[in-house]
Amino acid sequence: MDLDLIALDVEAKDSESIINELGQRMLAKNYVKDSYIAAVLERESKLPTGLDLGEFCVAIPHTNSEHVNVSNFAIGILKNPVEFCSMSEPMKKLNIGLVFLLAVKDPASQVGLLGSLMKIFQNVELMKQIRNAKDKEDIKSLLNFIEY
Amino acid sequence: MKQVNILSVCGSGTVTSSMVAGKLKEVLGDKGIKVSTTEARPTEALNLAQSGRFDFITYTSPLQAGDYGIPTINAFACLTGMGEEEFFEETLRVIGEIKR
Repeated sequence: MDLDLIALDVEAKDSESIINELGQRMLAKNYVKDSYIAAVLERESKLPTGLDLGEFCVAIPHTNSEHVNVSNFAIGILKNPVEFCSMSEPMKKLNIGLVFLLAVKDPASQVGLLGSLMKIFQNVELMKQIRNAKDKEDIKSLLNFIEY
Repeated sequence: MKQVNILSVCGSGTVTSSMVAGKLKEVLGDKGIKVSTTEARPTEALNLAQSGRFDFITYTSPLQAGDYGIPTINAFACLTGMGEEEFFEETLRVIGEIKR
């Protein structure tokens, strides 16, 4: 995990500002193209990506592969939760304190990465540990099982 | 060996549809079912469904209204793991009803 793609204690006022913050980090490393952030925001407004996992909510903003150079993802841990809408019920607002901004270039060849990410979303305990982590190295070691 | 063709739909036609497709291949493959998947966006789903190439649809983003002509299964449970067992029960029931 690239430590520069982890943002701790982010003070974001809304979903747009956390997507911007994480998107800029991806852009700085050239993982995504200049068009990526606007495309993610556009998609989020039409087809939101909040996942309600019962006792925990996470958001996984992303967009089409044409805006991506190299597959990767950034993690944002928010100081105060912001609202994202639900993927399954787009009118429903969820309070999100943990965001995974995903950049996927070629899904067919990224089965390992996608499967690993899915394992994270299905593991509420792990996400709570990430949410409560105090430094980036802790997060990195929690996620060392991810296959790229 | 039984073979099924699944149309996996999500918002961008890439990320969550591929996650669901991977899970379907894994779980159904273990049951001896050969799975072929195509990932698509909601706007492409109706045309693809009416092409006759697919046995059923799984979706993580709401599908647009229309006559899909094949069963549609909400795969949100498969994505989050909550209710995943019921999702696969429904999927297996739909597969059992496929006539060919």
